[in-house]
Amino acid sequence: MASTTTTYHLVPNPNHLVLTNPLSNHVSFLRKQKNNVSHITNLKKKNPWLDPFDDGEDPEMEYGSLFVDGKQEEDPRLPDDPNNRFGFLKFPAGYSVELASLPLKVRGDVRNCCCVVSGGVYENLLFFPIIQLLKDRYPGVKIDIVASPRGKQTYEMNKNVRYATAYDPDDELPEPAEYTDMVGLLKNRYYDMVLSTKLAGLGHAAFLFMTTARDRVSYVYPNVNAAGAGLLLSETFIPDTLNLSEGGYNMYHQMAEWLGKPFRDVPRHIVSPLRVSLSRKVKEVVKEKYTKAGAEKGKYVVIHGIESDSKASMQSRGDLDSLLPIQVWAEIAYTIREFTPVFVIPHEKERENVQEYLEDASIVFITTPGQLAALINDSAGVIATNTVAIQLANAREKPSIALFSSEEKAEKFVPEAEEKKCIVIPSKTGKLIDIDVEAVKNAVETFNVSLAFV
Amino acid sequence: MAEAIMGFTIFKSHIHNSSCLHARRSEVKQSSRLPNQHSTSTLFNGSHKVKEGKFKRASLCKVNGLPDWPLMAVIVEQMEGQRDLITIKSVGHLSDEAIKNVYSWYIMFTVWGCLFYGSMKDPYYDSETYRGDGGDGTGNWIYEKQDAMEAEAREALWREELIEEIELKVGGLKELEEAGKKEEVVK
Repeated sequence: MASTTTTYHLVPNPNHLVLTNPLSNHVSFLRKQKNNVSHITNLKKKNPWLDPFDDGEDPEMEYGSLFVDGKQEEDPRLPDDPNNRFGFLKFPAGYSVELASLPLKVRGDVRNCCCVVSGGVYENLLFFPIIQLLKDRYPGVKIDIVASPRGKQTYEMNKNVRYATAYDPDDELPEPAEYTDMVGLLKNRYYDMVLSTKLAGLGHAAFLFMTTARDRVSYVYPNVNAAGAGLLLSETFIPDTLNLSEGGYNMYHQMAEWLGKPFRDVPRHIVSPLRVSLSRKVKEVVKEKYTKAGAEKGKYVVIHGIESDSKASMQSRGDLDSLLPIQVWAEIAYTIREFTPVFVIPHEKERENVQEYLEDASIVFITTPGQLAALINDSAGVIATNTVAIQLANAREKPSIALFSSEEKAEKFVPEAEEKKCIVIPSKTGKLIDIDVEAVKNAVETFNVSLAFV
Repeated sequence: MAEAIMGFTIFKSHIHNSSCLHARRSEVKQSSRLPNQHSTSTLFNGSHKVKEGKFKRASLCKVNGLPDWPLMAVIVEQMEGQRDLITIKSVGHLSDEAIKNVYSWYIMFTVWGCLFYGSMKDPYYDSETYRGDGGDGTGNWIYEKQDAMEAEAREALWREELIEEIELKVGGLKELEEAGKKEEVVK
């Protein structure tokens, strides 16, 4: 205990510290708001191994007049020399290309950023607000993604991303050739910052270290497995549980908080709500699909979350009890009158199962989140369990009914449900299969009415 | 025929080498009494012992223009009233090392040939996996175009959204303008 008190600082007034030393010390704002304690003791300890000569920011340094302050410029390209027939850039006096990375480091600019996102489609979709935050905080940053092959498909809907590379960071034993290839690839892109949402131990930390990025920011294991990871990383986040996805919609809140931290003249950035963008091509493809299935634009309701052993079921890792068998869905679908229920199947083999219960059902086979989003975009609303469909409906501001296995899960995955036009129906026993179908039917009734008025 | 056999003489191919000729003849004359021993000791050895100190040096720096194939026999058939019929018999014999070299060359050529000529008709190089990504046959290289295509698609998406936003803004402005005009008309 004595050792911790010597290294941690007891600060009576946290504002004082934030003013004098905003860089090296980091105050947990969330904790401050919740507990409302005057003595903040959870300051992050600076790792003396990373830079023994780092004494923190010079308090007498003046930014703004002498040195450039504020956010980075969107286009750092220097002006072309009009008199030069080769179109060389005109370098300002005193600008040395060789040292370019040094002022970038001093200013804290990020030009190239790589995000290693662990998990499937759901986790990658919830990472979108973080990407938007990066783009807002560092204007003109080029963001690349490394995600699993399934998760990579999500970035079809993200306009802020440059390259998305398929490589499964969750793979325990990657093929050596693939691993070294990926290290080389990332190293060759010369990133300024690498973000990782995989819980890092020494192994993953070494992987990030080998990219030779300036800032290596990652989640670490909340237990002893994190030993040694801190040496190779410049910033670490400790998740609440071993499974990051259990955090629900705000699963990356530590990272968001750190990324949005105030820095000199830049104020704190707030995470924007999840938004997805759809390309014209995908929309056209999906339109063809649902018209073939017998649905009209704006006159159908998307039903997602049919139980299947397919990998494209798009559920979160934090809520595995989130699929309903087709019998229950059939019951619910009977109560939808004014709209055509469109069943989204993750695999072609499910088509027979659906037709068994509903002979003339409109069935659309969709595996990619981009197509699902396009389908939802053209629909009147969504009825789904806790799958990506709910998040997409919220992102496209479509009314939705969400079936959850418990209230806690519902609160985590769809916070502020009313604002998002989302009706949440939790199961009372904690198991999704025991969900009250009557309640769902009632909700569907109100859904019918509300949609009819709209 | 018996005469012919009796006339057998064992020679080395150096017989053509004039500098060694005398030494050889003397040696041969000495050893011709015991032809069996001689054949085993020097016939296939390639090198031979030179006992006279006088010729030690000369034999050390001798140069063979021809390969060191041992000459086995010169058969001289003497017929009465005719010229001698001379038949030179030699054994074209390769040493162990030379045989090994020949065989290893043969194996190497076979393996290389299988790979090289086999790959000339490889359907892989005409398949979509090789040509599809832009492998143009100039080098064995596969160009990954998928990533670039996806990045371009995302850029296009970004532009689309930007245009939409601008249109929205312009539409709003137009509405405002129209509203202003209407107000003016009303006034």
